[in-house]
Amino acid sequence: MPETIPADAFAAAADGRPRLARAAPLVVTVLAAAALWVAPLVLDTFAVNVLTRSMIYAVLAVTVDLLWGFAGILTFGQAAFFGVGAYATAMLLTAQGGAPHWMAAAILLAVAAPVLLGLAVGWLSFYHRSTALYASVISLVVPIVVTQGIYSGGERTGSSSGLVGFDVLPLEIEGFFRLAAFLLVAVTLAAWILVRSDAGRMLVALRDNEARCAYLGLNPRRLQIGLTAALAGVAGLAGFVFANASGVVAPENAGFLFGTELVIWVALGGRGTLIGPVLGTIAIDYLAANLSGDLPFLWQLLLGTAFVAIIILLPGGLAELARRAWGALPRGQRPAFAPRLRAEPSHAAERTEAPLLTVRGLAKSYGSLTVLENIDVTIRAGELVSLVGPNGAGKTTLMRCLSDGTEPFRGAIAVGGVSTTGLTPNRIVALGVGRKFQVASVFESLSVADCLRLARASRAGLSPLARAETLALPQAVLDILRMTGLDAVLAEPARLLSHGQKQALELAMVVALEPRLILLDEPTAGLTKAERTTIGTVLKGLTADLGIAVVLVEHDLDFVREISSRIVVLHQGRLVLDGTVDEVVGSELVRTIYAGGGHD
Amino acid sequence: MSNRPLVGALAALVLTASPVLAAEKPIVIGVPVGLSGANSVVAPSVVQAAELAVEEINAAGGVLGRKLALEVADDASGAAGAQKAFDSLIYQKKVDVIIAMETSAARNAGLPAVTKGRVPYIYTSFYEGRSCNKNLFVNGWVPEQQVPPVIDAFKGKGAKTYFLIGSDYAFGRGMLAFTRSYVEKTGGKVVGEEYLPMDGSDWTAIISKLKEAKPDALVTSTAGGAPNVTLTKQLRGAGVSLPYANLAVDEGTAKSMGPDAEGIYLSASYVTGIDSPQNKAFLAAMEKKFGSSLRTPNDLSVPEYEAIYLYKAAVEKAGGTETAKVLAALPTVTATGPRGTIGMSKQHHAPLTMHLGQVQGDGSVKVVGTFKDVDPGEQCPKLD
Amino acid sequence: MIGAKPFAPTRIGTMLLILDILTTAAILFVVAIGLLAVFGVLKIINFAHGAWLTVGAYCAVVTAKLGLNPWAALPLAFAVGAALGGLAELFIIRPLYRRPLDAILATWGLGIVVGQLITLAFGRDVQLTPNLVSGTVDVFGTGYSAYRLVALLAALVVGAAFALVIERTRLGLSARAVIMNETLARSLGLDTARVRLVVFMIGAGLAALAGVLLTPLTSVDPTMGVGWLIGAFMLVMVADTSFLALAAACLVFGAAQVLVSTFVSPVLGGIAVAVLAALVLRISPKGFSRA
Repeated sequence: MPETIPADAFAAAADGRPRLARAAPLVVTVLAAAALWVAPLVLDTFAVNVLTRSMIYAVLAVTVDLLWGFAGILTFGQAAFFGVGAYATAMLLTAQGGAPHWMAAAILLAVAAPVLLGLAVGWLSFYHRSTALYASVISLVVPIVVTQGIYSGGERTGSSSGLVGFDVLPLEIEGFFRLAAFLLVAVTLAAWILVRSDAGRMLVALRDNEARCAYLGLNPRRLQIGLTAALAGVAGLAGFVFANASGVVAPENAGFLFGTELVIWVALGGRGTLIGPVLGTIAIDYLAANLSGDLPFLWQLLLGTAFVAIIILLPGGLAELARRAWGALPRGQRPAFAPRLRAEPSHAAERTEAPLLTVRGLAKSYGSLTVLENIDVTIRAGELVSLVGPNGAGKTTLMRCLSDGTEPFRGAIAVGGVSTTGLTPNRIVALGVGRKFQVASVFESLSVADCLRLARASRAGLSPLARAETLALPQAVLDILRMTGLDAVLAEPARLLSHGQKQALELAMVVALEPRLILLDEPTAGLTKAERTTIGTVLKGLTADLGIAVVLVEHDLDFVREISSRIVVLHQGRLVLDGTVDEVVGSELVRTIYAGGGHD
Repeated sequence: MSNRPLVGALAALVLTASPVLAAEKPIVIGVPVGLSGANSVVAPSVVQAAELAVEEINAAGGVLGRKLALEVADDASGAAGAQKAFDSLIYQKKVDVIIAMETSAARNAGLPAVTKGRVPYIYTSFYEGRSCNKNLFVNGWVPEQQVPPVIDAFKGKGAKTYFLIGSDYAFGRGMLAFTRSYVEKTGGKVVGEEYLPMDGSDWTAIISKLKEAKPDALVTSTAGGAPNVTLTKQLRGAGVSLPYANLAVDEGTAKSMGPDAEGIYLSASYVTGIDSPQNKAFLAAMEKKFGSSLRTPNDLSVPEYEAIYLYKAAVEKAGGTETAKVLAALPTVTATGPRGTIGMSKQHHAPLTMHLGQVQGDGSVKVVGTFKDVDPGEQCPKLD
Repeated sequence: MIGAKPFAPTRIGTMLLILDILTTAAILFVVAIGLLAVFGVLKIINFAHGAWLTVGAYCAVVTAKLGLNPWAALPLAFAVGAALGGLAELFIIRPLYRRPLDAILATWGLGIVVGQLITLAFGRDVQLTPNLVSGTVDVFGTGYSAYRLVALLAALVVGAAFALVIERTRLGLSARAVIMNETLARSLGLDTARVRLVVFMIGAGLAALAGVLLTPLTSVDPTMGVGWLIGAFMLVMVADTSFLALAAACLVFGAAQVLVSTFVSPVLGGIAVAVLAALVLRISPKGFSRA
């Protein structure tokens, strides 16, 4: 998804002075909490009432920001989860009254019901090959269905009139203000800690490059579904507080218009900044309470126009504007954050003579067009097999079939004896297969170090609380970083790297998976001579020293001859030759194919 | 119409700034209405009616020597907007009373605010009934008052089987639930009861079912405005020409629907054609005050006008605006207005004279029956 | 149905049911076709689609106010829709070419702005328009709404015209090229920006046209378009970029809507299109376009 909003700026700015920065959330939290505790004593009743609701809406804005601003999931559905939480509370309290144990049950229900709905919605929205657009449209359907359910609920939901007059928490107006403030501060703090942590990098990685996540052995679908369900729970909790604070729930609280309003507030405040959406929501909602009574239609018109303008001209929202103004001030340049590297004792692949990869009778066609036919190949540990052939021979298709078992193909592929048919890429990665794409596939908005850390995530996990000071990588990866000079630019965002450096970074990420088999699609395309030599050295080292098997698609025959232990020739979807370098290079057949096949 | 609240605010400003009044603070009436959203079609007429009442009362010396002032706020026709509007009126503008016509969701959203803020609330809209709160009084009709005239008239014409169509929301369901029970109680039979979502616009399947069921009469209760017009259009398009009562149509909408509306029966506590000196004087005063910008008075705006007089009577009886005393006085006072002499004497609701009308070819509504002092029934037994 | 016996259609009932399905599908098709064109070429879901429908319907209102023949609203709406669509493409969609999700949001904002402008100009009231065709036609012994049959005809005409443009004209060829592979089309010297502009204009024009065609069935008010949006989105997601698949989807989901409304509940019928389409996409992500 080519959305280029640099969300890392936030993290990078905060990362500047590690020790001070780590204390920053706590300091800000304590200050905010103190200010909000005192606020109801100073503000008039009107402001206290309006701000109570604004702060609850701001909690929702934080969840929208995490989903959209960080993880790239544009959702209109948070209103539905909020509404379900609020209605669960109101319906239970209407039926049972507000005794403490029913109040506790209401909290549980207000969180559990949206979480379950969130799981269902996540299942509908995210599956292998679903698109971001599709998920957005589904998120529109959810509030519509929920609202319809409320309308049809008769006495139980109060239909269009909503529910009113149920028992609520025994608090005064100031008490509810403080409760809402506490929730907002707590949720914002938790979100802040999360996005600054290593796990938070994963959200950005999902937004940047979902495919790469899958090919790092992470399960993007599970992450997206989990995130949706968890934040649905947070929205439900906000619904609980809302139902108590306002004493009334109505269908529009769950409606899709409210869902779009949340997105508008987040966009205006500045997505991907957390604090922008919080302040944006509170400011706009408070302004609306004061102004919209005087200018009902004009207010909507102004808001709509501002929204369009901000989306087009200032995608970072008002927070972006503030950041630019802040950036214009003369300040000391903060050094970027980079973890210390250390070597991880590598789990050397056990050398067995059993075939690592077996392909039997593989065939694939698109409609009537046959792309691969009757391919049989066996690859063992430590081999470096080059796959050559003219354009259209089916090389890349073969690589795709090897790394993604959900591709519709006939025949059998097994890795270490396990059939890959039907397995999604992340599960094939778990079998020990790493894939490097033709066009370098890295996380553009993450730093080099973060890209590498994500590559280790499937083994080492990621902390949701903090950033690790060190980054442990297998020796082979450290070697690649040293040889390619990447170790000097660990804090640099990947999008600023040169073409060659990106290729090297992706290779390093794949090697960091400690795979048994690496699939490489034209790793040297567009590289300088020196860079090619480096890559060649790296590959030879991987196969010879660690016993990793490498399958390489390559056009550069000189490079192939230099490094391969075996060469497989594909032509028009068929495997025409499989032999040692000498056998293939000397073959008459290969010369004919390349002469007539239109090699570029 | 978008500048109506500004006019209202200006009027209030002029009134409060007048030196004669400086002696005592005016009594402030809060009017939260749907200036935007679904009710924005009818809201301007409600504000106009309130403005006329305030002007008349002030010209006649005010209430207990104090002048009245209006504070209008937009509730956006919904719950979230109503919460803001009620907060603003009660805590910021410090109103003495809320008198307004709103959607049921907006009314419910306002109830916690009037309870906490200890302000009387006169709700001036007809609605589905059974909204009970010690601060809430209602002078619009409820199903028990509106439906019987229609069904009795159909029964008189020999109708035995009925088909009911509504929008799926509290008012639609509430009205038709009562209609069903009343039809069955009076010996008729309901052969179909169908609902479409409030924003639904395709009545095709329901109309086909209606044609299959071949009832003697049709009763509809949709959301106002678009769904009502859409249903009527599609009924006429499908050639349905049964005796047809529309519980949600008002005179103005019927007029704008043109030939499609001809023959429709409606039941209301106010129609412009009521032949009484009070109504004629009221219409003339409205015409004089608003001229070409006049919004036709209707069953939602006239109760607003009358409710302000009811509040005046209650304050005078209570000897002040203190909420507890006003609440005690409200069920005991009456006021005479375009709809006749009305008091909210029955469980915070009002017995009303109902009119059965039929839309004519030229869009006007002919009154074909009048039913005196119809009882609202058991709305809030706990409040008596 | 509450309390009544299950609805068992007679022979005439079955006839009505079939006509209802066909005409419902026709109306869905007319409403969604403009969205499909935009989705195929620009690869965005146009949230302003509802606003274009509304603009078209208000063209019918204006035509009536001017005292013109109601049918004159059709060309007027197409022209107005296309003109506004052109402006929107140039100033709002084009700058967001590389940010498709943002383009969706911007079109939503545009929809709000258009809706509020219409409200300021015409008021929030429901507007009435003269019927294009009124009365009923006798079909196999039962009276059926004449206008619904006209709508069926209109869908066939719009579909045929669309097919003709796609298959037989230069524009159609260019559009197909952009749908298949925009990068390749551009590298072959095709002015893809122009293709996008023209297609967006046509999409908006078709939506406005659909707005006029809806007026005999619905009331006209500033928010009338929103109710049609979600169903149209889902149909287009299912159809992907093929207008034949769209026709098939309209038939299948239109039938589902009518059948659910008739035999289960109209309330469920109202959300049947969206929910069923979501499930179909979940189970078979390619939707109906695979054929």
